[in-house]
Amino acid sequence: MSRIEDIGIFNAMREAGLAKVLPAMPRIAVGMGTCGRGNGAEGVYQALAHAIDRDGLDIQLAAVGCFGACSEEPLVNVWLPGQPMVILRRVQASDVERILTDLSRGRITPDLAWCKIEEWDHITAHLRYGVGFPELPLWSELPFFSGQKKIVLRNCGLIAPDDIDEYIAVGGYQALYKVLIDSKPESVIEQIKASKLRGRGGAGYATGIKWEFLAKAKDDRKYIICNADEGDPGAYMNRNEIESDPHGLLEGMIIGGYVTGASQGIVYVRHEYPLAVHKLTRALEQAREYGILGANILGRPFHFDIDMVEGAGAFVCGEETALIASLEGFSGRPRPRPPYPAQKGLAGKPTNINNVETWYNIAPIVLKGPAWFTEIGSTKSAGTKVFSLVGKVQNTGLVEMPLGTPLTKFVYDIGGGAAQGRTVKAVQTGGPSGGCIPHEMFDTPVDYETLGQLGSIMGSGGMVVMDEDNCMVDIARYFIEFTHSESCGKCVPCRVGLDQALEILNGFTKGTGTVAQLTLLNELGRMIRDTSLCGLGQTAPNPVLTTMRHFRHEFDDHIIARRCRAGVCHSLALSPCENSCPLHMNIPRFLDLLKEGRVDDAFEAVFLDNPLPASTGRVCQHPCDDRCRRQTVDAPVNMREVHRFIADAVLLTDRFEPLAARIAARKKAPTGKSVAVVGAGPTGLTAAFYLALLGHEVTVFENKAEAGGMLRYAIPEYRLPKRVLAQEVELIRRLGVKFQFGAGVGSAVTLNELDEGFDAVFLAIGTWKESWVYLPGTELKGVLPALPFLESVATGTNPALGRRMTVIGGGNAAVDSARTAVRMGMEATIVYRRERKDMPAIKEEVDAAEQEGVKFLFLAAPHRIVGDARGNVKALEIAKTRLGQYDASGRRKPVVTAEIVRLDCDAVVLAVGETVDLDFARASGLTLHEAGTFVVDRFTMETSRPNFFAGGDAISGASNVSNAMGFGKKAARKIDERLMGVKRFAGISGGFEYSMEPPETTSTSPRHRSAELTSAVRVKGEDEVMVGLTEADAADEACRCLRCDIRG
Amino acid sequence: MNPESSLRGPSAGAGAGDTSSAVNPPDSVRYAFINEAIARSTGRPGALLGILEAVQERNPRKYLCADELSYIAAKTNIPLSQIFSVVTFYALFNLEPQGDHTICICRGTACHTRGSRTLLESVRLELGLEETPGQAGADKLTLTTADGRFTIRTVACFGQCALAPVVELDHRILGHMNERALAREVEGLEQERHE
Amino acid sequence: MPQKKISIRIDGVLVATLEGTTILEAARDAGRRVPSLCHMDGLKDVGACRLCIVALPNGRLVPACTTPVQEGLAVITNSPEIAAYRRMIVELLLVERNHVCSVCVSNGHCELQSLASSLGVNSVRFRYHYPILPLDLSQERFVLDHNRCILCSRCIRVCAEVEGAHVWDMMGRGIHSRVIGELDKPWGEAASCTNCGKCVQACPTGAMAEKGWAVEEMVKRTAQVAGAAFRKGVSL
Repeated sequence: MSRIEDIGIFNAMREAGLAKVLPAMPRIAVGMGTCGRGNGAEGVYQALAHAIDRDGLDIQLAAVGCFGACSEEPLVNVWLPGQPMVILRRVQASDVERILTDLSRGRITPDLAWCKIEEWDHITAHLRYGVGFPELPLWSELPFFSGQKKIVLRNCGLIAPDDIDEYIAVGGYQALYKVLIDSKPESVIEQIKASKLRGRGGAGYATGIKWEFLAKAKDDRKYIICNADEGDPGAYMNRNEIESDPHGLLEGMIIGGYVTGASQGIVYVRHEYPLAVHKLTRALEQAREYGILGANILGRPFHFDIDMVEGAGAFVCGEETALIASLEGFSGRPRPRPPYPAQKGLAGKPTNINNVETWYNIAPIVLKGPAWFTEIGSTKSAGTKVFSLVGKVQNTGLVEMPLGTPLTKFVYDIGGGAAQGRTVKAVQTGGPSGGCIPHEMFDTPVDYETLGQLGSIMGSGGMVVMDEDNCMVDIARYFIEFTHSESCGKCVPCRVGLDQALEILNGFTKGTGTVAQLTLLNELGRMIRDTSLCGLGQTAPNPVLTTMRHFRHEFDDHIIARRCRAGVCHSLALSPCENSCPLHMNIPRFLDLLKEGRVDDAFEAVFLDNPLPASTGRVCQHPCDDRCRRQTVDAPVNMREVHRFIADAVLLTDRFEPLAARIAARKKAPTGKSVAVVGAGPTGLTAAFYLALLGHEVTVFENKAEAGGMLRYAIPEYRLPKRVLAQEVELIRRLGVKFQFGAGVGSAVTLNELDEGFDAVFLAIGTWKESWVYLPGTELKGVLPALPFLESVATGTNPALGRRMTVIGGGNAAVDSARTAVRMGMEATIVYRRERKDMPAIKEEVDAAEQEGVKFLFLAAPHRIVGDARGNVKALEIAKTRLGQYDASGRRKPVVTAEIVRLDCDAVVLAVGETVDLDFARASGLTLHEAGTFVVDRFTMETSRPNFFAGGDAISGASNVSNAMGFGKKAARKIDERLMGVKRFAGISGGFEYSMEPPETTSTSPRHRSAELTSAVRVKGEDEVMVGLTEADAADEACRCLRCDIRG
Repeated sequence: MNPESSLRGPSAGAGAGDTSSAVNPPDSVRYAFINEAIARSTGRPGALLGILEAVQERNPRKYLCADELSYIAAKTNIPLSQIFSVVTFYALFNLEPQGDHTICICRGTACHTRGSRTLLESVRLELGLEETPGQAGADKLTLTTADGRFTIRTVACFGQCALAPVVELDHRILGHMNERALAREVEGLEQERHE
Repeated sequence: MPQKKISIRIDGVLVATLEGTTILEAARDAGRRVPSLCHMDGLKDVGACRLCIVALPNGRLVPACTTPVQEGLAVITNSPEIAAYRRMIVELLLVERNHVCSVCVSNGHCELQSLASSLGVNSVRFRYHYPILPLDLSQERFVLDHNRCILCSRCIRVCAEVEGAHVWDMMGRGIHSRVIGELDKPWGEAASCTNCGKCVQACPTGAMAEKGWAVEEMVKRTAQVAGAAFRKGVSL
């Protein structure tokens, strides 16, 4: 190919290029960026090449870059002349034959087709592929691409980066040509200034002004540098840009060289990006061949060349003075500014450095004008920015959005929110120089100013989404560890300051931190920020300072309570399962005891950790399953059912008496202190057990007739037989706990009486007040809340409610109500305003309900209840909903539509949540939250009244049994500490010898599950559905444990 | 650092690993290559980095020997101390021979949030490598097994964040890794040896 | 080229100075005490220790040693915030390595020690790092004790800029940085060393010392070396 000397040759080349991009035959282009290759794109390409060659097909095969949808890789573009280009996703080599067969019939393989592109705005050109395939969505209609504006990424994934002809075909080097012909460098600089383009490397300095400095500097030699030393962990847009469209970068740099009078350009690129290095090398060769680099560029009197230098792995070289030092053959240690590079840069010559992405914006601005550019983005931050959206979102990849787009759009609309069952907690922007933005601030528009105000920065555009499994203290520690190891060591604040900050943070994650260190860390962070030599040190404290500001409670957890809720900080937990358990049961211990065949010991160990093991073994939400490391092998250990097996093996057999005696024998000597526990639900029972075990006189006041709370009165017999609970309560009673039933506090006994009669009072009154939805018809006969309904069934007074019941709600109470109705011979339908996956109820319970014939109506909100002439329920009218914006829980908010559906029924049960009995709470005189829950110190459980403690749902709002018991256990510990002045709790459940050797082998069996009654049998009565594990299965299940509690 | 241990000349050998095919060519060949590398880059920005990268890449054990550094210093007129400063500053350069297989674990943010630290720990334990006190928790880590078979390294970020956690095994990118899958990969390499 | 005379404000006081001088020089000429460790007259400034930070009217802190004065500039050389930061920097230096004054040849004549005392640093809030560092006794006349080094790089610069030998440089990075001679050779084996001893005299602490002195006996002739450096700078 010859050099481009005039416009005639240039235009001819463009035509030749177009014949490659839009050939007269079908074109298949495989996305071969590094992400694509990492997912098998090379195999796909080879399989295609082989098949095309073998069959002599008239198909043009191309290797293109990446279209940005990393989670859908490998992507393959298929184009039939006259038709839209179709993007296939997750293509594997084995799909190739199908694709080609379909293509030969003019079809697109339907299960692989993701979306279509009918026309594409390359900004520098407009390509029309064709119209058709009405069944396929347009690319821009997919959530991942919605709102994206591809300027920088205009060519990525669409043209072959190895072929300069394809770049020229889509309008490449036109802007350069225009600039050279016009030969008015000053006016180009004016254009860039007017466009308000700001440096995309992070600091956001106005590009036009920087260029003007360089243009005005007088010297025989000037340099322009492209900073492609993209070292921010979590950001990889520069890699993709260079891999997919290297000429776009070169064009920007050549224009920059021309208008600033520089004769030499340098691209400083990371050696960790071998593919980018390769593509760039090839592009440089081609550009020289075509007369676009070197002497007399495009036949004009302008000489310019570009060198590529591979960085050798130092994050600090992203700092411009360090980068220059590195190019000069020194270690990359930053130098003080002034002098600025524009005055004295590389080899003492005037130098301008811009980030990769900045250069990509040049050609579009030159061609389309500054006004076009400023219309995109926000007032102060014009244009777009490419972000790498990664971490705990469902759709990951590179997204180019107008500046000023709110974070929530990135996380939920584009990213699709967190994975199933998780909640997004924060977004980290700007890598190690940036900060963490909490969920409450997701309305924040992403632009330079706003992120700065929040203590973060735009940085290079990394966006790492964190969910509840990420510990923010660990994240702060991680970033300091990173900057600590990347600090050049030149200035004291950064070198030694970060070392000390890391030391302090390491202490926090190991549970040895102090509150004084937290203050010191804050002071140290500010000092490093204000006094460090370069950008690395000045921004390194941002991750710590922002997490300390926005996630202070997590720091407190680590320092004061020595707990890491996310379970990341290993030193603060026995094992992941123990950490996730609200009762912090030593799960590996009972598994091992069972494995050794010591059922009695296992029971004793379990009961000392959890005094309602048979109940929780049936109804716990089992958060431990989500944390179990065995799931990386197959499925989590079924810990819940193993402890149910252990509990049943004693509580329901003749082992009860000896074991009850063994536990009672552990009771400590009487302390002479007395404690009143108000409420005999799970919280109260748990606190009473431990307080009695510690030697205190415990009296439980309960206004109902029996102990157990929700376990007794709300959870149906088929899930938790009453006789099981009764055995547990009996064992607690054996420890000397006294119960006063029918003794409602506030009526039978007053708080003042309790205060006088006891050394401490623990309020565990639960949430017994039904939330009520106000809709027309709630006054009708047959409308009732879930709790009274379940309670009446639990106490044997089955209400007559007709034939068909509709339950409103999606929690466990809704499912329990529906399943209970089925057992009463009714037809039951659950109406829920969101989708099935959003239901808060335990998944297994929802599945069981479905098997039993319960019907579900999702995306439906109650509209009104219709009654008949006698005031009985006749039907429920529901409004269909659609999912709208994301709410604070990270779920999409249901929006009511005009579509009304009528559901005939005889009864309506409202299961929309429970709250604290406000009358009692207000009368107590204690300080309350707005929702009516008691305000307590979260570390000591104390209320606003001396000697009064509170816990359970009464402080957290309606939750679940295990959480409630966790509060009871913690309260007992804190009350004991207060009464005795010493910490005695840790020792009470110890004294078991068991193996602490890593198991040589673990069971290879899949997860064992309890047998169930068939749905036909179970709807006929109240028999327990889950039979429980067999002895053999339970023992084998225990052998599946990997023993993460043993660390070596 | 003890200079004797950190800078082994070619005659001192590259440890046990030298029993394999990875033998360094004789001095004359190596020095001729260095001359070429210097000629290619003299006067260009980033020359020293380019020379060092080329020389290390050519070494079968992927490291820089003391005699090579001295030779480069003499030829380029760059002070020895400056060259040593450069090779110890950048993560890429090695002063120790590297193992037959390199397992490189990404410690980027996305990989960290998806458990890369556990991966690093498990593979370290699997290969029986001790954590050296100076490197405790440090990001920049290079450990080679005594038999010269495996080197574990960390990298700040591969820019493969969408595949997190990422491990690079002999320049092959493995995405969405977990402990078990990584262990299988390493076992695969171990078996190659016995076959 | 004759330098232009300009006036600036230091701590509110109007001071006449020459364009191109640094804030540090101007302030010291005006009799203000601005602490520093990495600065040495006659050597290129690097802005490494950050002790000479001064505040601009907008509150931004800049190092006095590398910031040139401009007409109309106003700086504050001390404030509670600056003093606290300076104390913290000295604390960090003290915990970084093993500074045991009572057994140090430079005890009583050490710039770090006297700075700590003048800034009122009498205790540290950070944990001592206690690194294990070598002591190089291989040189015939001099000792290099890394335990006392504060990485100010004065030795490196005086050797490269004044003596022209470039024996020294900095290896590694971050907290693992260390001054090395040639390819981390023992000092006695460094062929490029001219044995001139300028590095020793330039060293602000007991990290580099002449052999043969006992505790407290090593008094550095820093001013003499600085004079030589200055003359060399003028002659260039």
